[in-house]
Amino acid sequence: MKQLIELSVNGETYELAVEPQATLLEVLRNDLGLTGTKEACGTGECGSCTVLIDGRPVLSCLTLALDCTGQDIVTIEGLAEGERMSPVQQAFQDCGAIQCGFCTPGMVLSATALLEENSRPTEEEIRKALEGHLCRCTGYNKIIEAVNKAAGQMAARQK
Amino acid sequence: MSKESDDRREVKVLTREKLDLRQLVKAPEVGPSVVGRSIVRTDAMLKVTGRLDFGADYLQDGFLHGKILRSSHPHALIKSINTKKAKELPGVAAVLTAESVPGRNGFGAIIPDQPVICGDKVRFVGDAVALVAAETEKIAHQALELIEVEYDPLPPVFDPREALKEDAPKIHEKGNLLSYNKLRKGDMEKGFAQADVILERTYQVPFLDHAYLEPDICMAIPKADGTMLVEGPMQAPFTVRRNVNAVLGVPINKVRVRQIPMGGGFGGKEDSPIDLGCRAAVLAYHTRRPVRIALEREEITLQTSKRHPMIMQIKIGAKKDGTLVAFEGVIYDEQGAYASMGPVIPPAGGSHIHAMVMMPGPYEIPNVKVDAYLCYTNHPYGGAMRGFGAPQVHVAHEQIMDELAEALNINPIDIRRKNGFREDSATATGQVLEQSVGLHDTLEVCTRAFDWDRRYQETGYVDEGKTKRRGIGIGLGWYRTSIGTNNDACGANVYVHEDGSVLLYTGITEMGQGSFTVLPQICAEELGVRMEDVRLVQPDTDVVPESGPTVGSRSTTLMGNAIILAARQVKESILEMASEMLMVPMDRLESRDRRIYDRDNSGKSLEFREVAARCMAKGKRLIGQGWWAPPPPTLDPETGQGNPYFVYTYSTHMAEVVVDMETGEVEVTDYVAAFDVGKAINPKAVEGQIEGGVAMGLGYALMEEVALEGGYIQNLNLKNYLIPTSLDVPDIEPIIVEVENRFGPYGAKGIGEMPNLPATPAILNAIANACGGRVRTLPADPERVFWAIKEAERAVR
Repeated sequence: MKQLIELSVNGETYELAVEPQATLLEVLRNDLGLTGTKEACGTGECGSCTVLIDGRPVLSCLTLALDCTGQDIVTIEGLAEGERMSPVQQAFQDCGAIQCGFCTPGMVLSATALLEENSRPTEEEIRKALEGHLCRCTGYNKIIEAVNKAAGQMAARQK
Repeated sequence: MSKESDDRREVKVLTREKLDLRQLVKAPEVGPSVVGRSIVRTDAMLKVTGRLDFGADYLQDGFLHGKILRSSHPHALIKSINTKKAKELPGVAAVLTAESVPGRNGFGAIIPDQPVICGDKVRFVGDAVALVAAETEKIAHQALELIEVEYDPLPPVFDPREALKEDAPKIHEKGNLLSYNKLRKGDMEKGFAQADVILERTYQVPFLDHAYLEPDICMAIPKADGTMLVEGPMQAPFTVRRNVNAVLGVPINKVRVRQIPMGGGFGGKEDSPIDLGCRAAVLAYHTRRPVRIALEREEITLQTSKRHPMIMQIKIGAKKDGTLVAFEGVIYDEQGAYASMGPVIPPAGGSHIHAMVMMPGPYEIPNVKVDAYLCYTNHPYGGAMRGFGAPQVHVAHEQIMDELAEALNINPIDIRRKNGFREDSATATGQVLEQSVGLHDTLEVCTRAFDWDRRYQETGYVDEGKTKRRGIGIGLGWYRTSIGTNNDACGANVYVHEDGSVLLYTGITEMGQGSFTVLPQICAEELGVRMEDVRLVQPDTDVVPESGPTVGSRSTTLMGNAIILAARQVKESILEMASEMLMVPMDRLESRDRRIYDRDNSGKSLEFREVAARCMAKGKRLIGQGWWAPPPPTLDPETGQGNPYFVYTYSTHMAEVVVDMETGEVEVTDYVAAFDVGKAINPKAVEGQIEGGVAMGLGYALMEEVALEGGYIQNLNLKNYLIPTSLDVPDIEPIIVEVENRFGPYGAKGIGEMPNLPATPAILNAIANACGGRVRTLPADPERVFWAIKEAERAVR
């Protein structure tokens, strides 16, 4: 039987009736139409479905929507302010860190979470933070470069 | 990664004139020209904000959900199928079996030997025995469970050599040998008689999965006028169309195929959209409703094409100084259950032919003999995967070159310097390489950038505990542009409007490689407008000219030329009109950066759009249609001699690895890859292809394998089908070298597939250099490396 829940996504609050076994991924994509969150494996192996819950990257395909009440969820749609991309998004675009783009939303969200916690990560720290995100196109080099560049820009802005 | 967060980091591009190896020259990244600049990809903003709709993101209202019941056996006769219970399940719209296929019950990129729905027999566990369409995916799944199939198992065949035996069970009526080709050059006996050293080795590579991130999806939508619209991520919309029309039994013009955004393809989305397109269309035909088939990850692994496994036997002979004198090779290329992309398309298309042509490597060898067998088995079917027959043979020729160098006590670089192709070299097929041969340029620049000579002296243990050893390895590579078939050609349309804006129509698809950025760059450059003035139209077989498939590293070169020809037709109108308006002879006019100006008096100029508006007002042609086919391929079926592909891309890779001598674990610690690409239309996009290709080649070397047991795949999801992560792929230094291809747009040639080819053997050679053990059966996972180390230790004792 469906249950009523309240979800806070990208600063908006939604009241929804969801099946108890519905994953956060299904609810985001099918009920809220937030299709920027991608599903590639459905078993938590690839990182494509990553969203931020209270600032931490979480695999939405392994998370029950019911468990997310009262938490602050951010999806890829919530990063840009209007047409202005976030520094991580901008750096991904500028560095050529995007090819097919299917892993990009999850990758960008994990990178955003990393930089919130550690404003100047080393290359090793970036690699470690993105370890759970599979990318078949880029070989990761330009993604790591983009995260590093975003870190530099965010640091410069804070000065 | 660049050492600092410097957004002005420029991409290094070396042209032959600038190939002074004492200094790496930076190409100009500024200036008005559009080609040669690292323009940001046109879809980047949509992708990075999550706004780009992939197939799974399309609205599903009104759609039925299609599912496929697959075979339980690798080889069996179908005794009976009972669909009654499934049909009675509420919410089920159709349950189809073989007799429901309205037209030809067979599809395939080349030979339609794969049933849309199997009627009498199944040939691998991915075969379809029934199709279901239901109101929800869940109901469709339930319906599959209710279908009862009785099989009569047949003895299966899993090894291509077994498949060739006379008493082997026949998988297809015409026998198990799908194609055989041979190459004969020189005199083998004489050749080997000149050799001081002869080596014989066998190398073996497994099935590989493309593991593109975006799962396959296809939508078939019956239109009121009787047209069937098929939409999905796909590399070859025209091939999908010519299969769907035959399967439905309707003319080609009753099928419309639209390519939608694609999350990776690597050759895999050449075959699977044919499969899904035909099956979704048959369901839509019967239900008269839109049907979508979305594969789950496990289904993709089960059902779709794989990289061909090969068993490669080589006998090679060389003189003491390293000069190669004879090469004999045998290739057993495993096609699996269906022909797919495998078999020969005259004169030089087909996976085993491509492998045969490339097997001796980018080396001059006077005496060569290769036999290539392409065999059916009861395994998944082999299709194109980034290199189509070439990655396999690179594993063989680059390893045996190192084994030969070791036997002769020559530096691995020097044996390649001695034998590698130069301008006017003759290949094994007798093709004289008249132009754009930058192999040695890449070898020298890579040697220098990697600091090979120093590192070659510094291998050995890296830790005090003496458990880890460092080694370095090299891999050379060559790869064709184009596919070697007689029908290989591209068409493009260019429309200029009265405000100076441009529409570009091509059938080349975007899968992440960047064609939707590079092709408009070429169009803008040729017309003399800005990048943002050109909008590329999404490929749609009702709208764009036939362009062939997006494969074979052909898009930039073949389509680039077609675009230039189309743009020139329009430009002629524009310049004629501008000549009238400015009273300047046409041959003095230049179109650049939205202005038409007199070369001798640049003050005399007009805006591109004013001239376009005048053309429109005067009824002058503003539409161009370009068509370009490369110089015709040749390959004699008896001798394997000829010019199978019109130009090649060349490359040198160097890798450093650290091998754990106790566990066999390998870490790739440094990497340089240099490529002669003719001309980098978009240098950053070329770098992206190089880095991504190296990562894929690393996966082939160290971890990837579709594990099969009795015809059943053991690793269906990404949990146990491993692909490289951010911790596996090292910092890669890509180097772009430009040795002009005179048949290419602005001198360009192909790059898409090439970068993964030399990466695999470079890493394998580095492992052997580090630990003394050589892994000849891939992947070189810790267990295989461990045993290779033990074998090497035994040999020393």
